[in-house]
Amino acid sequence: MSMEVEWAPAGAARQTGRTETPARRRRDPVLTGAAIFGAVFFVFGLIHLNFDYGQLWKGTLAFVRSWAYLFPPNAAEWQPILAAALETLYVAVVGTVLAVAVAFVLAFFAAENVAPKTAPLVKGFVSLLRAVPTLVWALIFIVAVGMGPLPGILAIFTHAVGMLTKMFAQSIEEVDEGVLEALRATGAGWLQVMLQGVLPCVATSFLAWSVFRLEVDIGESTILGVVGAGGIGWEMANAMRNYEFDTASFVGMVIFAMVYSVEFATNRLKNRIRLRG
Amino acid sequence: MKRSGQLLEDLQKRKKRQIWLAAAGIVLITAWSARETDFSVVSVVRGFGEIVRFIGQDFFPPDFSAFRSLIGPAVDTICISFVAMVVGAVLSLLLSFFAAATTCPYRWLQASVRAVCSVLRNIPALIWALLLVAAYGLGTLVGTLALILTSVGTLTRAYAEILEEIDMGQVEAVRATGASWPQVIAHAVLPQFFPGFVGWSLYKLELNMRASTLIGMVGGGGLGFSIQKGLKLFQFQEVCVAILMVIVLVLTTEFITGKLRERLI
Repeated sequence: MSMEVEWAPAGAARQTGRTETPARRRRDPVLTGAAIFGAVFFVFGLIHLNFDYGQLWKGTLAFVRSWAYLFPPNAAEWQPILAAALETLYVAVVGTVLAVAVAFVLAFFAAENVAPKTAPLVKGFVSLLRAVPTLVWALIFIVAVGMGPLPGILAIFTHAVGMLTKMFAQSIEEVDEGVLEALRATGAGWLQVMLQGVLPCVATSFLAWSVFRLEVDIGESTILGVVGAGGIGWEMANAMRNYEFDTASFVGMVIFAMVYSVEFATNRLKNRIRLRG
Repeated sequence: MKRSGQLLEDLQKRKKRQIWLAAAGIVLITAWSARETDFSVVSVVRGFGEIVRFIGQDFFPPDFSAFRSLIGPAVDTICISFVAMVVGAVLSLLLSFFAAATTCPYRWLQASVRAVCSVLRNIPALIWALLLVAAYGLGTLVGTLALILTSVGTLTRAYAEILEEIDMGQVEAVRATGASWPQVIAHAVLPQFFPGFVGWSLYKLELNMRASTLIGMVGGGGLGFSIQKGLKLFQFQEVCVAILMVIVLVLTTEFITGKLRERLI
């Protein structure tokens, strides 16, 4: 979730306003309205949430004091914790790879330019999969198939199919119409157009999105355990429930190390893909 | 001619081999992971029937009489993610000046701000909420604080990168006209900074909205708490309504932020 930002999906791409002329910027009434509404809503939110600021102060003191319990981290149970960390990785890998395989097929039926008939249906379906958070999927699957890594894998798979299909389909839609036209003119069938025309164009971006999704899923997978879907999140929830803060801080460090190294590795990989693409 | 053709062929062969190697590696890792987690197609197929039956019979039809009681948690969720985004954005705005190489006076300061943000960012909001619940007690405060922490982590880095990319030529040009410091900021820095600033903040609002529906599960208030509670009490049809509301919230936020972003460009 929170690590999704590192790869800035297309929509959130940074815009450096270089083309803008600073002197004569037209005021957009909608944007101004949104800004005013935002400010009003912020005040409303603060009033509605009605925070107990005394509690904020006391809690902060308690939190700072609890740092004493966090250190030194207790690594006594490192074996089950590291095993849980590995399980987290396994769950993410299996879920993501399966999702990539399914989304790869679905995407060809979700792209407007190559499958105009099925596109709206498939797109609507995957946006439903995407809108339900992974953790909620995990909760549903836990009730259905019981605790353990299986509901975790299914949850990651379901949400990832939702997102990857959308992204893959977008890449396919960006393929130059001329390429498709040229192939069709040779008398190529639908499958041949896909394999010879579309696939070479989209391979790099498919790869990039898959790697990105793996990064996101490893992050998601760390928290799945909190609701009982296996992995390191469970160790964390367990340690906090038993007030074993020193163990919790060790688990926190393991999570940080895991997510950080994944971020580092995928950044390297991303640069290489970008260089080749 | 012949030699270059040979070279190309070699190169293509090598590339093909690399692709096969990578593919084999992925298959191997996946197979190993599947083995370690006892994942098998059989269990999925067997589970699939159960899942379909469960969702079809226990979740549907949604019990819309629960809608009224879920409005409160839904408003909580919206408020939490919005307030957290705004507070996070303000804090990040201040911090980003110390996290950007171009504006930070000391290297050690920049490195330490970035390190702190990296910790804030890389520990998921849900885990932060778990850690904070012990100190602050249950309630919306914990959810908001957890989201503020992750917001600061992501936004500081994003803003800092925008600051670093600011074209100093424009700044120099405005300064050369004799503009004062506030004028330089207003006419050279802000126009370059603003679109990215708003874009990233809106994106974080989207992420917060998704995360805030979950934070309730560990005691941070909002819709997540209702979902968790309903599942524990086996009130699946009420949970179904709550999940539908999550879907509507997430899709609406996505739609609105998308529209605003389009207007910014």
